[in-house]
Amino acid sequence: MKLWLGYLRRTPLVAFLLLYTVVTGGPFLWVAAMSLRTTPEILDNPYALPIPAHWDNFIDAWTTSRYGVYFLNSLIVVVSAVLLVTLIGAMAAHCLSRYRFRANRLARMIILSGMILPPQLMILSLFQILLQFGLYNTLAGLSIAYVATQLAMTVYILEGFFAQLPQDLFDAARMDGYSDFEIFWRITLPIGLPAVFTTVVLNFIILWNEFLYAIVLITEDDKRTLPLGIMHFMGSHQLDVGMIATGLMISMSPIIVLYALFSETLIKGMTAGAVR
Amino acid sequence: MSASSGEGSRGASRTAIATFLAPALVVYAGFTLYPVLRTFYNSVHLFKERTQEFVGLRNFLDILTQDPVFWKAVGNTATFTIVGTIADVLGGLLLALCLFVGPPLSRPMRVIWFTPVLMSYVVVGIIWVWLYDYDWGLINVILRWLGLGAFEQSWLGDPRTALWAVLVTHLWKWLGFNMIVCLAALHALPGEVLGAAELDNCGWFAKLVYVIIPMLRPTLINLLVLSFIGKMMLFDLVWIMTGGGPLWSTETVSTYVYKRAFDWNTFDLGYPSAIAVLWSVMIVLFVAVMTRLLRSRDRLEF
Repeated sequence: MKLWLGYLRRTPLVAFLLLYTVVTGGPFLWVAAMSLRTTPEILDNPYALPIPAHWDNFIDAWTTSRYGVYFLNSLIVVVSAVLLVTLIGAMAAHCLSRYRFRANRLARMIILSGMILPPQLMILSLFQILLQFGLYNTLAGLSIAYVATQLAMTVYILEGFFAQLPQDLFDAARMDGYSDFEIFWRITLPIGLPAVFTTVVLNFIILWNEFLYAIVLITEDDKRTLPLGIMHFMGSHQLDVGMIATGLMISMSPIIVLYALFSETLIKGMTAGAVR
Repeated sequence: MSASSGEGSRGASRTAIATFLAPALVVYAGFTLYPVLRTFYNSVHLFKERTQEFVGLRNFLDILTQDPVFWKAVGNTATFTIVGTIADVLGGLLLALCLFVGPPLSRPMRVIWFTPVLMSYVVVGIIWVWLYDYDWGLINVILRWLGLGAFEQSWLGDPRTALWAVLVTHLWKWLGFNMIVCLAALHALPGEVLGAAELDNCGWFAKLVYVIIPMLRPTLINLLVLSFIGKMMLFDLVWIMTGGGPLWSTETVSTYVYKRAFDWNTFDLGYPSAIAVLWSVMIVLFVAVMTRLLRSRDRLEF
């Protein structure tokens, strides 16, 4: 064992690994540098350090380039969708994992089938449906569409976790006279908090980055989410590289914060479905 | 409250069960099931001003027999999917093996490698549009610096390279994901098997092909299927980087569906719905066949 490991450990491997690290991390540092420079500076030399740093780029981006509006729209849509899908999903997961009843299997199959349905199969008629209900071009409409897209995955993760909670806890609670809803609210949710937290962070990131549903369901500038807003800005100011880079940094910042705080949880959560 | 039929707290009243499940089922029915059914309904209709005319399977016939752009999109998506899926899984496995031998700094490195997975297609796409820029993009800058200026390209502007350029970006975004999954599977392997291979004086390549890959089979199949599905439905990255151009060289089935529905001003949702139905059925069939073929063969137990 030691021999080939020792061989592999030598310089070529390490050099390759460092190179790949630069290739994956470098572009983000590059964007960070550009976000603090003005466009004329960037066009003069795209690969220089941000000296002096123009922090006021961010103020400009937030107000003049309307990234503030897009950011708030994203925040409203994503936070409301995440709260709703967590609550609805946790209730369903609690019910499916805890109670025996005749339609249990059927209900689980129906809800989880949402995971394998391609979005293309829903998106065109979702556009029609939201139009009918007066929800097209509204943040509420996009939010409810997001709840539907994330429901299956949320139930899947939570149900797996809730099913492992010891039955004794629930028997004891029942003895103490807890109602079914109290059991959910005061036993399942608090004890299942780690799994709930994972789904919250995962759903937040997935929806914060979401593009397809947003571009189909939102066309008004005042309702655009950040990904749409940046694309729109890019369309009309293609050469303003500095301002686009600032926008990219604004859009990445919540994710960078979450990743810095919870990198292991995130890595585990994102890959949970694929590890067997 | 409880229907205590000897099942302890496993039983619950119908009202309680209904209350817990109702919100999820209502959302599912209204915003997943109903849209899917309506897409199927749309796919056999032609949209007129305010009404829809039933046209049977005509949309499907038209797609299959007289739509060169559709077939171009199918070809692009197929190329992208086949090459991309294999590269994705193999690349992820190789990166995982590199980290598995435990080089210095492997923990921070895997955190950095995973970063692109978490960033949106808009962020990743725009960064790579810049990296591919003809004048000041890093790729051409490096080529010129190395004295290989003859190879500089308008990577996204040339129909011959555009699809591959998008593919490289897609790989760059997802390799970290495959790497993490393979790494987790490698760490779950029983140590004695690798040790036995060591005693048999197995070379590292033989070990990879005869020991590691067969043992990781379930994980690799999972990754193949996930990667396959993601690439068959590719929309965001293409839309952001090239919009399907130049000359339909990066048009995928999904971008074509979007264009037919919203960019062509025909206001006909029937035809694009038919494409979506056709393609989704294809994907589901392919995945079913793939898992059947790959999974049924001799299962390794350890």
